[in-house]
Amino acid sequence: MPPKLDVQQGTLALMILQTLHVLGSLHGYGIARRIEETSNHRLALNYGTLYPALLKLEQQGFIVAKWGASDNNRRAKFYALTAAGRKQLARETREWRETADLIAAFLTPAREI
Amino acid sequence: MLREWIIRLRGFLRPSPDETELHDEMRAHLDMEVAELVRRGMAPEAARREALLRAGGLTQAEEAVRDQRGVPWLANLSADWRFAYRALTRARAFSAMVILTLALGLGANTAIFSVVRAVLLKPLPHEDGDRLVYLRQTRDGGENLAFSVPEVREVREGVAALGEVAELSNWTVTMQRTDVTERIPIALVSGNWFRVMGLHALLGRVTDAGNDGPGAAPVAVLTYNGWMKHFGGDASVVGRTVRLDGKPTTVIGVLQPAPFFPGNADALANLVLSEHHMSATMVEGRTHRMTEVVARLAPGATNALAQTQLSAVFARLRQAYPDAYPAGSNFHTAVVPFKAVLGERAELTLWLLMSAAAFVLIIAVANVANLSLMRSVRRQHELVVRASLGAGAGRLRRLLLAENLMLAGAGAALGLLVAWAGVQLLAELASRYSPRAAEVRLDPVCLAFAVTLAFGASLVLAFVGALPGEGNVAALVLSGGRRSSAGRSRQRVQRSLVVVQVAVSVVLLAGAGLLTRTMLRLSDVQTGLRTEEVLSLNVPLVAPSELLRSPDADRAAKVRYDQMRREIAALPGVREAGIGSPGPLRASDVLFEVKAENHPATTGEPPARAELRLAGPEFFDAGGIPMVRGRAFSSTDGPGAALAVVINQALADRLFPGEDPVNRRIAWTGELLKFAPISGDWRTVVGVVANTRDGGLDAVTRPAMYQPFAQTLALGGTLVIRADSGVANLIPSVTRIVRRIAPSAPIEDVRTIAQIRDESVAPRRLNAVLVSSFGILAAFIAMVGIAGVLAFAVSARTNEIGIRMSLGADSMRVQRMIVQEGGTLLAMGLFVGTLGAFVVSGLMRGLLWGVAPNDPLTFVGVTVVLAATGLVACWIPALRAARIDPAVTLRAP
Repeated sequence: MPPKLDVQQGTLALMILQTLHVLGSLHGYGIARRIEETSNHRLALNYGTLYPALLKLEQQGFIVAKWGASDNNRRAKFYALTAAGRKQLARETREWRETADLIAAFLTPAREI
Repeated sequence: MLREWIIRLRGFLRPSPDETELHDEMRAHLDMEVAELVRRGMAPEAARREALLRAGGLTQAEEAVRDQRGVPWLANLSADWRFAYRALTRARAFSAMVILTLALGLGANTAIFSVVRAVLLKPLPHEDGDRLVYLRQTRDGGENLAFSVPEVREVREGVAALGEVAELSNWTVTMQRTDVTERIPIALVSGNWFRVMGLHALLGRVTDAGNDGPGAAPVAVLTYNGWMKHFGGDASVVGRTVRLDGKPTTVIGVLQPAPFFPGNADALANLVLSEHHMSATMVEGRTHRMTEVVARLAPGATNALAQTQLSAVFARLRQAYPDAYPAGSNFHTAVVPFKAVLGERAELTLWLLMSAAAFVLIIAVANVANLSLMRSVRRQHELVVRASLGAGAGRLRRLLLAENLMLAGAGAALGLLVAWAGVQLLAELASRYSPRAAEVRLDPVCLAFAVTLAFGASLVLAFVGALPGEGNVAALVLSGGRRSSAGRSRQRVQRSLVVVQVAVSVVLLAGAGLLTRTMLRLSDVQTGLRTEEVLSLNVPLVAPSELLRSPDADRAAKVRYDQMRREIAALPGVREAGIGSPGPLRASDVLFEVKAENHPATTGEPPARAELRLAGPEFFDAGGIPMVRGRAFSSTDGPGAALAVVINQALADRLFPGEDPVNRRIAWTGELLKFAPISGDWRTVVGVVANTRDGGLDAVTRPAMYQPFAQTLALGGTLVIRADSGVANLIPSVTRIVRRIAPSAPIEDVRTIAQIRDESVAPRRLNAVLVSSFGILAAFIAMVGIAGVLAFAVSARTNEIGIRMSLGADSMRVQRMIVQEGGTLLAMGLFVGTLGAFVVSGLMRGLLWGVAPNDPLTFVGVTVVLAATGLVACWIPALRAARIDPAVTLRAP
């Protein structure tokens, strides 16, 4: 197993929004699981990272929370994207891509002229 | 962003309801994780442990969510305050010391700032006061001459940069109301004066152009002070008629409160009130300069432009009218912003006091910083424990900030009390220098100033104390938190603070020393009089305008003066009584050019000028003025007799250097004489009197010519009384006599020579006392600082000293080591401070008198005193170090 990485500041919100966008309404455990799996278990999310981030997104109005029943009939809090959240996701995705392109361009070894 | 904070703030205000929900949510997460692990084949117990491990601490997570939900530092704040309060009440001596030090520093600064603000900084109450300028004409670099009416006309026509130009002339009139007669200072103003000044009527109206010209009726506008003083603020005064110099004058309004300049006035009247101001002498006389000029800069014009144009006009006038501007007299005209002219005499003194106070604050904060540093080392253990229990660096910093804010807040509160008391004292001081002193008060701006200072001080203090860093937490915990000696960098900070304190003390004490020496030199000045047991009082019997109209009035006045003089001379205890004007140690403001017979003035040299003074036969004896040569006046120097004069030594030296002036003839001369009721006839010098300090103790004596009281119009009358002792006790019986002979005459300026002398020294004494107390306070704080830092160093080095002593160092050696350590700091501080003091003393040259700014006695004295007290301060901790018992120290855990 590759060494676990810390979640980079600012990227967690994007991962959560994307997860909810793909999977629809989901509880905290589901979100954590999905992020860990998508990262091929290179990321580990502890509660102290995940829940403050969820709360912050909720406060910003990008997601809403509602209590409901899970697959195996457990009471759990489900999070879902709002319209503002969708817009934010689109914006952050675009910004992230630009940043990534930029950094990639920087890190590409200079070609001989 | 905003939305998030609103919700968070709500979270802070209503913290509880989500709490169980959060707990439930995490519990559900955990359960799902456990269930998943079990499903993959883990034993339930192991699954649970694994799940908890992955969660990474439930309590911490809940705490992190809580931080996101509310505003954590806000929630911590009240806890911080409570904690700070408890911590400070435990360290009582420390807190008291800090609060007191800060209170003195903050109080002094706030009080002086309130004066600086009122006198120098605050906008004028005048509408658009920044465009207001005062014109000044000086001669020989000093004396303010004012302008003549023809000159004002030229300014009006030739200086385009000045918009409207207004005239004012200070004047004194006798005001008669139904029951009282008093002489009051007034000003005669042109109709546009109020508009130019941007001042409005509080009641009634002010004058305008319609009140100008010879045909107008006399009207007066009371100044706010005059209204309060003479009419007790009675609004019904508007529309009433008072008699000013016998002329019925209608009071048409009351002016808004405003600083008055130049001079002082209880009322402002139109020019028609004074026949003199309407006469050809006044209107046509080029050298008849008694008009003050204020103006408003024209739109878009600058002060510099106005100055250039004004200089051009006067350069032309000096060419065209050489008689009006005697060669060699250095006539100079200037455009001065009105605000600057109001503050200019106070400026140097106030900035001196402001910087002295700022220095005290620097020392105070430096000292408190040192105290905090030491305390922070002593509580290192406590902070380490807090850090290891999870308080982050930010939280600890906040804790220290809360403590310091609390200290500074208490200091500021106490300081405001100090300031409140100080402001009363300082306003009194400022009123000697500036008409704006009446505006001095502790207003919100000054309070804000104090609060800002206090807050700044506490920020500085919170950040000097070092926090336990990551590295030393573990080490300290391991060592059981035993007090470690202060780190090198912290010691360096402490030491530089001590050097700063000593240096600033040197600067303050040197300044204080120079001012004190100035004051002492001034008190030592010989007045030139033989005795201080002299009382003088002015009793003006007739207004000058009346004198000019009727010779009878003059004769009648002289009869009454002589009657007063004789009755006073007959009082028990009185040695001699005389009449003259002005009294001894008072300057005469009537000056003319003089010439000596057969002594043509050398061309290019400014003409000799002398004060005109009046003296009766007994005046010199009664005033204690020594005769140097010849004789005093006698009763034969009467109206019909040959014109006789007595001159002072200064005039004798000026006109007859190295010769005997007695029986030589001199005469008044010059342009100005045309306008005065004084003849230019030759007068024979019958005697010479010694110079007396008439213009104040620090002023050079001006040449003066005394005319016999009997041969001159009674322009003023000052009774001079000499006694063997207790001359002040004569005041009641003297005033009784004057009242009986002249029931309605004003009695003014009743002073003994000792009082006049004292008033001349008083402002400088107050300067010296204030700066000295600042200096002594600063030096005291600095000494406490040195002793404290050394004592602290000793206690931190107890172990080391114990080892040194057990290895054979004797107590002398240990003492020397510690004293040397303090002595080095002291020497550095003295050196830096002396350099600073040289700079500062140069800046305060204008406040010194009779002492050079680099006065060696002061500098050496200050250095020696500080070095001596500093060494004593070093010795106390050194002795303690020497008393360390190596056996006890080394065996201690």
